[in-house]
Amino acid sequence: MNPRGRHALGWWALIMPAFLLMTAFYVAPILQVLAISVTEPQPGLGNYERLFTSESVQRVIGTTLRIGFITTVISLLLGYVLAYRIALAGPRAQRWWLLAVLVPLWISVLVRAFAWVTLLRRQGLVNEGLLAAGVIEEPLALVWNELGIVIGMVHYMVPYAVLPMLSAMREIDPRVLAAARGLGASRAGAFLRVFLPLSLPGVIAAGVLVFIFSLGFYITPAILGGGKTLMAAEWIKLQILDLIRWGLGAMLATMLVVAILATLAVFSRLVNLRRLFGAGG
Amino acid sequence: MGGYRPGWLNGTIAWATVIYLILPITIILPVSLTDQRFLSLPQHALSGEHYARLLTTPAWINAILQSAYIATASTLVAVVLGTLCAIGCWRLSRRSTELVRALMLLPIIIPSIAYAIGLYRYFAGLGLLDSFTGVVIAHGVTGIPYVVITVSTALAAFDPRLESAARGMGASLGQTLRWVILPRIMPGIVSGAIFAFIHSWDELVVVLFIASRRVFTLPRKIWDGINENLDPAMAAVAVLLVGMTVLLLLLDLALRQQRRD
Amino acid sequence: MSAVAGHALSLQGVAKRYGDFTAVQGATLEVGNGEFLTLLGPSGSGKTTILMMIAGFVEPSAGRILLDGRDITALPPERRDFGMVFQGYALFPHMTVAENVAFPLRVRRMSRGDREAKVRAALDLVQLDRFADRRPAQLSGGQQQRVALARALVFDPALLLLDEPLSALDKKLRAELQEELKALHRRVGRTFINVTHDQEEALSLSDRIAILNHGNVVQVGSPEGLYERPATRFVADFLGKSNFIEGEAAPDAGGMALRRGGTVVLARGTAPAGKALLSLRPEKIALLPGGGVEDNVVEGRIAAWSYLGTGYAVTVATQDLGELRVHLPAWRIPVAPSEGLAVRLGWSRDAAVAVAEDAA
Repeated sequence: MNPRGRHALGWWALIMPAFLLMTAFYVAPILQVLAISVTEPQPGLGNYERLFTSESVQRVIGTTLRIGFITTVISLLLGYVLAYRIALAGPRAQRWWLLAVLVPLWISVLVRAFAWVTLLRRQGLVNEGLLAAGVIEEPLALVWNELGIVIGMVHYMVPYAVLPMLSAMREIDPRVLAAARGLGASRAGAFLRVFLPLSLPGVIAAGVLVFIFSLGFYITPAILGGGKTLMAAEWIKLQILDLIRWGLGAMLATMLVVAILATLAVFSRLVNLRRLFGAGG
Repeated sequence: MGGYRPGWLNGTIAWATVIYLILPITIILPVSLTDQRFLSLPQHALSGEHYARLLTTPAWINAILQSAYIATASTLVAVVLGTLCAIGCWRLSRRSTELVRALMLLPIIIPSIAYAIGLYRYFAGLGLLDSFTGVVIAHGVTGIPYVVITVSTALAAFDPRLESAARGMGASLGQTLRWVILPRIMPGIVSGAIFAFIHSWDELVVVLFIASRRVFTLPRKIWDGINENLDPAMAAVAVLLVGMTVLLLLLDLALRQQRRD
Repeated sequence: MSAVAGHALSLQGVAKRYGDFTAVQGATLEVGNGEFLTLLGPSGSGKTTILMMIAGFVEPSAGRILLDGRDITALPPERRDFGMVFQGYALFPHMTVAENVAFPLRVRRMSRGDREAKVRAALDLVQLDRFADRRPAQLSGGQQQRVALARALVFDPALLLLDEPLSALDKKLRAELQEELKALHRRVGRTFINVTHDQEEALSLSDRIAILNHGNVVQVGSPEGLYERPATRFVADFLGKSNFIEGEAAPDAGGMALRRGGTVVLARGTAPAGKALLSLRPEKIALLPGGGVEDNVVEGRIAAWSYLGTGYAVTVATQDLGELRVHLPAWRIPVAPSEGLAVRLGWSRDAAVAVAEDAA
């Protein structure tokens, strides 16, 4: 009974303002990035050739993919365990567990990066504590390197990993597990043969989400990497604001957008963004 | 899940993960109350001097007010446009509106850095660089997805026959919206508004590119602070920021709870 | 609203297609002033689509809809001034009963004073005046249905459309509300158009019934007319139960005679010579005592039987006519039924009626 023809006009009128604003002030700027990447400094695919010729471009892509991959794997492992624990909790406990996941999700990235610096730097609380306890004699290099980036990024991504997996686990009928046990499966057997396969779509969705978010991450790597380990986003900023090489920066930004949209398109049936924000309620 | 208990290993790792998630955020509270002049835990006594300094430094107050103004204005943009769009897509519900809805989600998916550099050039052409209007538009547009998502979720639980009933009894589209649809999905709209507000309040990447001297939001001030001098006043700002977010989230949780009862 | 109690509606070749699928193929139907018309059909027969086209929620692919001779085909629902009771009622859960009923008046910008008087009158009409301040969720299913009726009638609509108004209720309540609905129709004197798949409801409520199948209006008529003189096998089978007898027809003095094997069945009406189909209602067949005489007499054996409370349902296997279903009131059964018992069945010439085979 959806309105058609003239009856639908009023409803389209509701959509239009958002659509126009989004087109004029979101899509257009993004398309401009694409345009810059093939027109500056001169028209052509010169910037894209750098993907194959420039060692610096290849290094930054390599670093981004490596850190993205490591972050995704650790986030999935921690997230799965946490989601599993939440799924098995009672309704009251579940609310508290969920709060512990949702609050960090919404806390400013900047504040979190700052907190990690406070904890991890040479004179930070962790090093001071360990020195005072006599566990170490020299402060450990916990931040302003790749380790710091991974610690900060995993911290950001775990909530994004938990929510889709939890949502998939909640759809598993608990009677199926009881049935598996009743049919003679051990605890581990029931988990490996029944629970894990049923929760797999959630794991894939979480993995895709975390990976694509990691690729374009800016603030956390910028603060916790200390300028030594460059990921894609910071490299783009460097090209544009400091080196004024717009074409090259726009090229990598375009690659980033294309890679992310392509990944999402491949897994589109599994990743449901709406679930992320519905999970709290 | 009846009779299916988590094992000790699972419990331990889960707890460790939660501590990993929460601890760094809570550690800033004692640091902000330190009696020292550098980032550290309080040595002899708790001190409120860093908060006092924060609230008497015009630059910080200015940044807080600017952020509040921008977040409020851009939330208004995102809520009005996002809500109407979600309702239109819900009612028409066809392939083309699914595409519109996907388009509305792009700002969550595409990295801010790509948007920020595009907007930098785009706004330069329009003369919107370093203007409040420009930042409000940018934050408004990127806040729309949160509203579209929460309102769409609220609409999924809305009986479409109520809309037909209202139209059948002679209500115009505007009357149906005002008296039937909006009152029923208000909790979803409020959730969306809260998320859109937090989004703008925390947004840094876009502001780094399109703002310079005139527009100086709180995240930018913190960014400069982290890069220049790490002092306990930074921890005090961080605590205020976290406090704000937690307050808004608890409000959202309370509203969702109320809706369920 | 004018002083005229109801309005006449006319559907002219109204059709609805969704891509390759045809939901309604060219329905033509006249609904008279003040009439209670029911659209009756199995699910998927197109009855709800027709109602939604009358209400304006679905645009016809072809044909015209006229109200008192005025073309309203292109009018959106909110401009048609039709009252509607939705399936499941669609009451606004965030409004009280009074606010629900006042809604159509509010959208018409009626003054508060007039509104209150009208709402009170409408709630009186359905005997719900005491519940004005309750929320729909605090009411029983029957009460909710009455709120929906009050809300649909409060603005003096030209037509009242009812989409399966009783289907959400249990059987006993349904019978009660059928009575109420009928009384309400008499009281307000408006044109009612009802959609249902429940044949008993249709028979007891309606002035006329339009029977639908596969998107076609198969037959329109009074309840008695349709039950006694079904035009097709589908109508005879859907409205009540029926035995069907196929054979070679020939005219005879009192109507027609149909030959099947060695048996000749006499029926009323006329049929061209050739293949014909008779419909014979189970309750029109009697078990004849020893020397009983009837227009048609057939011998057979009881193949199965069951007790229904009001009587017996007996299946009798016959030589030429196959198995015949017979419904017998308990007081009209001469012997206790048992399987294999030899019986004689009899029915009058008027009991059987010739029907057309359904178009494929």
